[in-house]
Amino acid sequence: MKTSLFSSSRISIAKLSISSLAIANVALAMALAFSSAPLRGDTAAPTYMSDQAAARFLDQATWGPTPAGIAQLKTMGIPAWLNWQFSLYDSDLPDQPLLNAAGNNNTDLRPVQTAFIVNAITNDDQLRQRVAFALSQLWVVSQDTVTPAYAFPPYWRIFREQAFGSYRDVIRAVTLSPAMGRYLNMANNNKGNAAKGTSPNENYARELLQLFTLGLVQLNADGSLVVDAHGVPIPTYDQAIVTNMAKALTGWTYPTAPGATPKNNNPAYYAGDMFAVAANHDTSAKVIFGGVTIPAGQSAEQDLDSVIDAIMAQPTLAPFVSKQLIQHLVTSNPSPGYIARISAVFTNNGQGSSGDLQAVITAILTDPEARNGDDQPLDIAPTFGHLREPVLFVTSMLRGLNGNVTNTNTLYSRTANLGQDLFRAPSVFSYFSPQFRGEKGLSAPEFQIYSTQTAAFRNDYVYTTVYGTLDKGTTVNLAPFLDANSTLEHLLGVISDTFLHGAISANLYQAAYTAAAANKAPIDQVKAALYIVLTSTEYQVIH
Amino acid sequence: MFSFNHVNRRTFLRTTAAAAGSLALRPFGLMPALAQSVSDYRALVCVFLFGGNDSNNTVIPMDDASYKAYTSIRGGLALTGTALAPTITDVNGAPFAFHAKLAEVSAMFASRELAVVANAGPLVQPLTRAQYQAQQLAIPSNLFSHSDQQQLWQTSIAQGRSATGWAGRVADYAAAQKWNTSPFPTFFSTAGNSLMGNGAQTQPVAVAPGQSLQMTGFNSSAASQTRYNAMTSLLTLDSGVALSQAANHVLSNSIVDASLLTNALAKATALKTVFPTTSIGNQLKQVAQVIQVHADLGMNRQIFFVSLGGFDTHAGQINTQVNLYGQLSAALAAFRDATHELVLAPNVTAFTESDFGRTFQSTSGDGSDHAWGSHHLVMGGAVKGGQVFGKFPAFQLGGPDDTDTRGRWIPTTSVDQYGATLASWFGVPDAALPGILPNLANFATPTSPTGKLGFLG
Repeated sequence: MKTSLFSSSRISIAKLSISSLAIANVALAMALAFSSAPLRGDTAAPTYMSDQAAARFLDQATWGPTPAGIAQLKTMGIPAWLNWQFSLYDSDLPDQPLLNAAGNNNTDLRPVQTAFIVNAITNDDQLRQRVAFALSQLWVVSQDTVTPAYAFPPYWRIFREQAFGSYRDVIRAVTLSPAMGRYLNMANNNKGNAAKGTSPNENYARELLQLFTLGLVQLNADGSLVVDAHGVPIPTYDQAIVTNMAKALTGWTYPTAPGATPKNNNPAYYAGDMFAVAANHDTSAKVIFGGVTIPAGQSAEQDLDSVIDAIMAQPTLAPFVSKQLIQHLVTSNPSPGYIARISAVFTNNGQGSSGDLQAVITAILTDPEARNGDDQPLDIAPTFGHLREPVLFVTSMLRGLNGNVTNTNTLYSRTANLGQDLFRAPSVFSYFSPQFRGEKGLSAPEFQIYSTQTAAFRNDYVYTTVYGTLDKGTTVNLAPFLDANSTLEHLLGVISDTFLHGAISANLYQAAYTAAAANKAPIDQVKAALYIVLTSTEYQVIH
Repeated sequence: MFSFNHVNRRTFLRTTAAAAGSLALRPFGLMPALAQSVSDYRALVCVFLFGGNDSNNTVIPMDDASYKAYTSIRGGLALTGTALAPTITDVNGAPFAFHAKLAEVSAMFASRELAVVANAGPLVQPLTRAQYQAQQLAIPSNLFSHSDQQQLWQTSIAQGRSATGWAGRVADYAAAQKWNTSPFPTFFSTAGNSLMGNGAQTQPVAVAPGQSLQMTGFNSSAASQTRYNAMTSLLTLDSGVALSQAANHVLSNSIVDASLLTNALAKATALKTVFPTTSIGNQLKQVAQVIQVHADLGMNRQIFFVSLGGFDTHAGQINTQVNLYGQLSAALAAFRDATHELVLAPNVTAFTESDFGRTFQSTSGDGSDHAWGSHHLVMGGAVKGGQVFGKFPAFQLGGPDDTDTRGRWIPTTSVDQYGATLASWFGVPDAALPGILPNLANFATPTSPTGKLGFLG
């Protein structure tokens, strides 16, 4: 419990005020917790957790804290909450028809996009969704190339199913997915044809290594670069290896559509897995990375096994994936020690398995570096945290404002304006790069899409949300904040609890107070205070 | 409509200026007009073709030997018959044909408004196939990677990573010389943030097509003004969180730029030129509209950045290029028309960049893989059009210009030379070019001691 009030750059008002709002929501949350949480064997009482600590954890693990969610986490404690989340599986995306009403290929992704947002705002499996979204930004498939809408729900389910599964299974499932097969041309990638003068297509082979598993240069477990005797980073692979990897991945085609005759090169069809066609597979021996030679004469399936085994054996895989998951959930600039601790869990979950994502996610969220400062914001390193990506900005604001979203919402257009057009990343490099750096050389991935334009759009979006009407499918409920506005001090305490883990800074408090106090009507005071807090970069950057 | 910026700008900007310094905040305050060293207007417009354009099919040498080698090696990717625009000749009488969907581009080459720069790409120094294969000389880092080669085209520092882009460094120079009388950024992107426009002292502005950065949600009431001032007051205060500070600087720049741009665009008149309603058309229209009000903005020198994506044609390339080239050519032609409408054709030079060229040999799916050197287009009234600058590679797999056996061309013209030629026309004196393009001296030749290419005056 902090004691300083206005004596430092940060203040806590939160615990001075348990509002009627909070009390009502605690009751609701308890009911929810006991009705939907599965019974578990562990009966140990959870360690006491403050509202601030719970809110801060939920900003890392969900689409945004809510009063109900805070109460629930406090009741359960982090270990039980994680176990509960690991068991949940309630978010799906609706399958889409192949043809539209006019009988043409259906390319309307809006029902999928709206469902994604509804799930994020509404459903309980928050952590599964967050992890799936992070994985989907490593393993990008975009509608800019894969146009049929029906391709996307099955592709998304890979990450939903594997969010707490194994990275090995992610590699295999995506590699055999027809959506990725189309996006990076793994489908119908035939062995080279000397008569036609063609070579196997290198697209998937290259990006599988560069973007999905290993990156360009070898990494130590703590994320630092492996260097040679001259201090020069060591590449993970070279062009010859890409060429050979491309050969190893030849010979796969799309699933056969119902009623169609299987062909060696099937036309595009996006339900089910791709399958191997022996005649189109290059069976020569291939030297790939890590000194591995794939022997001659193997089938396409065997070559794929060899490739996956080789990837899983590369020490660079653990830090490459671990750091990106940390960046998506917790902080853009994890310390080497934090990366190393997660890499160790990635490499061995304690039972000898590598790539156990449930263990990795648990380690990321319970690491001392993630939890440090939960109750003592002054302990948080100045470089800690990350900018809310647009989808997380939209969802966390709406959840905090007691938002309700139906399947007629058009929030996808908002996230698109802010730089995250769901399922339509501009390229396989996703919306933003984990390598993107901002001021002072700090890693700042989300800043790649935070420009003078999108910064202004974020403010516009806050204004529309608080003062106007978003669309016919989205509502917010400011009544609890109005109820809390017995005094401005009390109101700001509740706003701080809801959006800032109870750690509003003195400067932000003063600015919000001033803006609110310039209004007479209590609801106008609420709106002005919310506008100031939600447009503040103190809120935009989770820390 | 009431513009809130007028009311509150002064207060906000005073606090902004106090917090400026090395934080790349707009250096607010009034630049001394007497220091202005340029009186005309010049604009560079970079059209970045994301994904790596297969420029082997952008423009093709049509002499018998070249075209025969082209069709023989490219097979299913080779353009023939009506897939090609009519063959035209350059100023020396050499025959070339553009892709049929680059019809307007072809016509501009014929009318001498557009030039080709052949086989350009990032290089540390000139490099032969033998030197590349033996790795005897410095080779650009992480070749054939999209992200890395995009960066090398944008930074022109082929040895590795750079926090600044070459156009950003030109913008730094422009700021130091006080070429513009306004604090509005020299570098203007309609395609979001790009490394190309990041300077050491200057930061770009990004504006979506049809926008002016003007925020909604304020009116003239006292409560609204108080809220505006409260919002802006936070941007100059240290929250103690590094990334919050970084975001504050972006938002603060946005607000300063919005006030300048909104006021200037309010004086714009509608262009008569009709632009295609494609993304690239909308972007170039926005550029033309900003060029129209350059005097109101206080700008004598501007660099614009627009983009068109989708060029990563590993398979199904023929159809994809038909679509993309059609968009590109129509938008470039409209932009050319707009510069004529504004009577600024000699003052505006547009040029292409792209991640890389692509393998001359095709993939099994009628596409092409990542490669290196590529051909580029330079358009404008000041361009020595109808010419090819630099040299086409020998169309031979495993030949003297190939890194390996698939026709990944080793560039024979460097990004430094390309950038130097553009920067020089923009006004950067030869003596200042090495500071902006550190590798430029490596490309000096007896006929071009500066390394410049000569496609602009």
